[in-house]
Amino acid sequence: MAQVDNGLTQGANRHRARLADLLFRPFVYVAGLQSLLIGLAAIALAGLLGYLSNSHFDGVLDFHTGRPAALHLFLLEGLVDWLALSVVLLVAGKLVSRTAFRAVDLLGTQAMARWPTVLIAAAALAPQYQRLLAGVVAQLGGPAGQVAIRPADIAVGGLALLLMLLCVVWMVALMYQAYSLCCNVRGAKGAGSFVLALLAAEAISKVALIRLLTR
Amino acid sequence: MMSQQSGRLPTKCPSCGAALTVKRMACPDCHTEVEGGFALPILAGLDSDEQDFILKFVGASGSLKEMARLLGVSYPTVRNRLDEVIARLKRAEEKRDGTGG
Repeated sequence: MAQVDNGLTQGANRHRARLADLLFRPFVYVAGLQSLLIGLAAIALAGLLGYLSNSHFDGVLDFHTGRPAALHLFLLEGLVDWLALSVVLLVAGKLVSRTAFRAVDLLGTQAMARWPTVLIAAAALAPQYQRLLAGVVAQLGGPAGQVAIRPADIAVGGLALLLMLLCVVWMVALMYQAYSLCCNVRGAKGAGSFVLALLAAEAISKVALIRLLTR
Repeated sequence: MMSQQSGRLPTKCPSCGAALTVKRMACPDCHTEVEGGFALPILAGLDSDEQDFILKFVGASGSLKEMARLLGVSYPTVRNRLDEVIARLKRAEEKRDGTGG
């Protein structure tokens, strides 16, 4: 009986470890073309949900709700964010990595690392979040006029905001893991080059999207 | 006295940590024994899972893609593992040649 219990416990532990791996270290198992296809699908889905909730990913780490736009602009934002960081990380990887790595692994895993944006855009669909945002904009003297904020809007909208924030942190962690694994760089060199690349990509994506959106 | 051992091959002295050498070898069939001073092959200094990785890698004709499929992990995971094994072998070679730190 004790052996059966031990077996079940070990099985449950393995299952938990596998689940944690899939959530926080998915690139140990998935990279290359497979991750690229999953990532592009996630970017497209996040763009579509962003279009429905007027939520823009207007920068590698940016997320803003409110301004309506054409669907293709929402899709383009995700692609620009992904490409900006991937290209900068490719250069960083070439500079700091001692190993020869495949560009398709870095491009694919960086695309897949953006999958939490699907959850962010989905959370932005919550009517309470939309009402909370409209209310805040109205109180700040925006064009929305008088919008009554209900306690449920604050509670659910606040939870949605918290979820979004956690998803951004999770996305950055996935981006770092993807870079670290694909270029085989770790420690201070890996973290330092990643932070610099992230800052550069954020600036590049902002400039590119401002130019694109103001055309 | 003559029995087939299946335990892990010791490569370091349990007392001072220096690399062990082979002093005596024996034929399990005719019990002939050879004595001398023989260095262990570099591969013997690797962990058993590293040796297993090398065997699988050679079995897969050196294909990282095939290794990734066999091990159920991604291509960069296998390549990083190979990088680790290469680094271990280089360190072992340098140590053997007396060029390491």
